[in-house]
Amino acid sequence: MLKAENVTKTYNAGKKLALENFSINVPEASIYGLLGPNGAGKTTFIRIINQITQQDSGEVYINDQKLNPHHIKQIGYMPEERGLYKNMGVGDQILYFGELKGMSKADALSQAKYWFEQLEIDQWWKKKLSELSKGMAQKIQFVVTVLHRPKLLILDEPFSGFDPVNANLIKDQILQLKKNGTTIILSTHRMESVEEMCDYVALIDHAKKVLDGKVFDVREKFKKNIFGITLSEVNEEGFNLFKNQYEIQDFKLENNLSSFNIQNTSDQNILLQELMKVGKIRSFDEKIPSMNEVFINAVKQ
Amino acid sequence: MKNIFLITKREYLTQVKKKSFVILTLLAPILLIGFGALIAFMFKANASSSTFHVVDKSGIFTGNLKSNSSVTYVFVPEQTEKALTSTLKEMQGIEGLLIIPKLENNNFDQLEKDSKLLLNKKIGFDTKIKVISDLSKVIKKEKIKTLGISEVQIKDLDKNFDLATQNVVDKDKVDSDLDFGVKSGLSMILMYAVFMFIIIYGVRVMRSVLEEKNNRVVEIIISSVKPFELMMGKILGVTAVALTQFLVWITMSVIGALVLNTGFSTLKNQIPGGENSEMMQKFDLKQIAMEISHTLLDLNFGLIIFVFIVFFLLGYIFYSSMYAAIGSAVDNETETQQFTLFAIIPLTLGMYGSFTIMSNPEGPLGFWLSMIPFTSPVAMIARIPFGVPAWQIALSMIILVISTLLMIYLAAKIYRVGILMYGNKATAKELWKWIRS
Repeated sequence: MLKAENVTKTYNAGKKLALENFSINVPEASIYGLLGPNGAGKTTFIRIINQITQQDSGEVYINDQKLNPHHIKQIGYMPEERGLYKNMGVGDQILYFGELKGMSKADALSQAKYWFEQLEIDQWWKKKLSELSKGMAQKIQFVVTVLHRPKLLILDEPFSGFDPVNANLIKDQILQLKKNGTTIILSTHRMESVEEMCDYVALIDHAKKVLDGKVFDVREKFKKNIFGITLSEVNEEGFNLFKNQYEIQDFKLENNLSSFNIQNTSDQNILLQELMKVGKIRSFDEKIPSMNEVFINAVKQ
Repeated sequence: MKNIFLITKREYLTQVKKKSFVILTLLAPILLIGFGALIAFMFKANASSSTFHVVDKSGIFTGNLKSNSSVTYVFVPEQTEKALTSTLKEMQGIEGLLIIPKLENNNFDQLEKDSKLLLNKKIGFDTKIKVISDLSKVIKKEKIKTLGISEVQIKDLDKNFDLATQNVVDKDKVDSDLDFGVKSGLSMILMYAVFMFIIIYGVRVMRSVLEEKNNRVVEIIISSVKPFELMMGKILGVTAVALTQFLVWITMSVIGALVLNTGFSTLKNQIPGGENSEMMQKFDLKQIAMEISHTLLDLNFGLIIFVFIVFFLLGYIFYSSMYAAIGSAVDNETETQQFTLFAIIPLTLGMYGSFTIMSNPEGPLGFWLSMIPFTSPVAMIARIPFGVPAWQIALSMIILVISTLLMIYLAAKIYRVGILMYGNKATAKELWKWIRS
């Protein structure tokens, strides 16, 4: 749905590189994570899509059309620095932003009603924003972002400021939107917060894309064939024999449970058979790296 | 275009709905009048009346030196002079003893030299002047008597030479002194109105920009509308707010004038006598009022109103786009001060320069001040009641339109970059870079 080709952006007359030859491809109705530390260039890229700033070179396409001002109405953007008018009523505010996106007042009103019910906030309509807590204001911010039924939703640090309950509520809404066909780009530096939601990710560091792809593929690519094992009723003799065959890492003995990691590139079933001789198997799983670990490894390479 | 309208509407409604706006709009005229009354009261409160004993050995003052609101003269017999002098120190309610010697051989100089005022406390300078003038008047009358000429002759002597001017080029261009006064007054009022309007509401535009920047709302709006639309919407919205405030004030003052007018006509009959009545005789109030209204009616009001509105709006947009740019380039209000100076100084120059325009509306300074776009909104309006050649109005207007467009263009460029810059204050060098980008 969205395609970026070799986008480059510099600030301060070329002195500061914000994005270098950045290319990604975001498929329709997917959740795409832009992951990377602060200052990596995520927000710059988002601002380019929103046409707040312009790239120096490269091209961005939405549905194979070069990015142009008409696309603005199809995009919903929630910036990292949240902002609403403090001394303006919640309802007026939502209608105002809806109208700025080209909605009619009636349409904006009915959409707002829908979202207020979804987020269980219908009693807030007449309140001023300054009377709401930060978490409440975040919900309003979310409504403002999705009100005009955007085809492309861009959320910068979507869960910052939400308590776990509301974070889940928003998460469910995002997944529901995806189901309904909305393409969603999530940008965050807290990778663990979004990794289970994303279908695709791109890792960005120092203005460059480090890697991208399906979340599953990326993690598979970086797995080190490490298995985590927990055994009970370990027999000393068998364990000593086992130790000679495999290199044991991070051994721990707690409550008569022995847990350790093993790096194994051969058949896992053989490993399991060996383990059965040592003791009773409590758990056995392959350690798939988290996005954080993937990122650290990818940057190191 | 629709977006500009939406932004204007929001800006207008939020500002007008603010409690502070409602209170200020309704209370400002009342406060202003109250403040004026307070000042008048303070002057009154400080004024005190003094009482003097007068020993008149010459006999010419008795009966002629009359008490008035600020000084009371109590004539006492000659014989009590000594006793009064010695007890003056302890006397309450009496500020002094005025001793006037005998007049010999009509030697008034000697009389003046020998007269003295003994005091038991400090008297104000005003009181002293008043006593002196009272005495002088009596002496003058006495001198006239000795010279043997009538009072009418004296009045005739005092008459000023009145010079009528006539412009041979343009018959209508003869200004009587009164005309000139009326025009100066009008020119002052219009000029001040523009000056205050630009400063007060320009700053309001700046605050509003700054508020959006600090709220970070700006990023959301900018992802829906162009920065230029946002800036223009804001300026127009504040303009509408200002016009509303003006309208309320004008309505209030018209109603106030109508109410006061009925009260004033009864008051006029009660104005205390003395000098005032003399003045009233000299200048018939009715006649003055008629002449003023005549002068006002003679002015080309269509032109004045047209020029006023055009220069006022253009000047306001010129300056508020400057203010909008300033608001976008800084992070908080304290930082705005050094930049706002750039906006205030030229305007102030224009205004003070315009004071000289009033004494010579067609001088070179007046011409240049009303051409330079930084000062022309004030200076041209100051000149217009005196009549300005059409080509000058046209030229100045063209210059102002072009420079306003240019200012909007430059401001929009600074604004576009500035509103998304957080954390560091822009230097002049950076501003220049933004303009060139």
